[in-house]
Amino acid sequence: MPPDPHALFQLTGPLALMGWLALALFPLAPRLSQAVAALAIPALLSVGYTALILVHWSEAPGGFGSLAEVMALFTDPWIALAGWVHYLAFDLFVGAWITRTARAEGIAHLLILPCLVLTFLFGPAGFLAFTALRAAYAARARMQGVPA
Amino acid sequence: MTVALSAPRSTLPDLRRLWTDAPAFTALALVLALALIPLYAAMALETRLFHGDSPWLKPVKFHYALALYTLTLAFCARFMPARTRASRAWRWFTAAVVVAILAEVVWLSAAAMLNTASHFNSTIPAFTAVYGLMGVFAVLLTSASLVMGLSIWRNAATGLPSALHLSVALGLILTFALTIPVAGYLSANNGHFVGASTRTLWLMGWSRDAGDLRVAHFLATHALHVLPLSGLLAVRLAPARATSLVWVSATAHAALVVFTFLQALHGRPFLPFLG
Repeated sequence: MPPDPHALFQLTGPLALMGWLALALFPLAPRLSQAVAALAIPALLSVGYTALILVHWSEAPGGFGSLAEVMALFTDPWIALAGWVHYLAFDLFVGAWITRTARAEGIAHLLILPCLVLTFLFGPAGFLAFTALRAAYAARARMQGVPA
Repeated sequence: MTVALSAPRSTLPDLRRLWTDAPAFTALALVLALALIPLYAAMALETRLFHGDSPWLKPVKFHYALALYTLTLAFCARFMPARTRASRAWRWFTAAVVVAILAEVVWLSAAAMLNTASHFNSTIPAFTAVYGLMGVFAVLLTSASLVMGLSIWRNAATGLPSALHLSVALGLILTFALTIPVAGYLSANNGHFVGASTRTLWLMGWSRDAGDLRVAHFLATHALHVLPLSGLLAVRLAPARATSLVWVSATAHAALVVFTFLQALHGRPFLPFLG
């Protein structure tokens, strides 16, 4: 049976969700949570992404030069799958970074849960939300004279 | 095996020394081996064929071969004088070898991506143009075994029995001396088969009904494993005549390489009853 991009796509969602679940439960087992969400699952997705690019890049339409070229690129289901896996891998990696940065800076885990949801759904918006939250914590620390 | 295990000095070599004696080769071996993971994943996703096989078969084979080669060099580095290993010239040389090997594997995977030939490519101008440079890199990466072989040859303080010392140095030198002519001819031959091949050997892919120049290349390059193995056996089993046995093994191995090379040139397969 030849590999099918639509079948492979069905595997990627549950895989990424496991990583996000591990991040949500971070306080229960911080090291395990990071091992899964910052390393194991992003690495697995990256292997898949790399293989997709190795096999399908040379025959893909379009390019990076204009929006029309990028749109043409994503008309190829294999390249669209690779792009999707790219989102999943990097969004999860950023989610893991948010989680451990919050821990290191004393930001409550409950407060970053909405940031994680945003990062999961709309990557950069979640990063922006966490950056704002972080700035607020830093400002409070400065005003109260508490070392951040 | 009981002979070897009960011998007085049968302690296993310290593998942690790989990182201190040859950090660049050790790291490269690890990277080449880890890169097999995405290469096998690509093989699993690939539907195109190149000469009847997956285009990823060739990069996979080279990653195994070069990982083993650099790991062997990293291991043998402990037999060089410590001063040589610490020298600036040696560091620059190993850096150049690492760059050459990385360039080779990138070139092979790029060819697989395009499902075209890496060696012998006459259809894509960029590949034709870069073929000569890849040849220079191939000589450079093979010369690492010559440089190390000579350095170990002249090192009086390897701590090895003299026959084993000889076999390690001779193996490295022979790897270079035998590989360069065989692989040089192979690279100019416009294909590795001599005659029309219809059947190949499992795993190695050597032709069963035509000449295959890769057999001699394989045996030539593995001199750096075969000779130390013969040295190890000679020291254990016949310590009194070990040095002459190493010379006999070296001569026999070189003769085997010449024989398989001539056999391939005549269009005849190597051990055709296999496979």
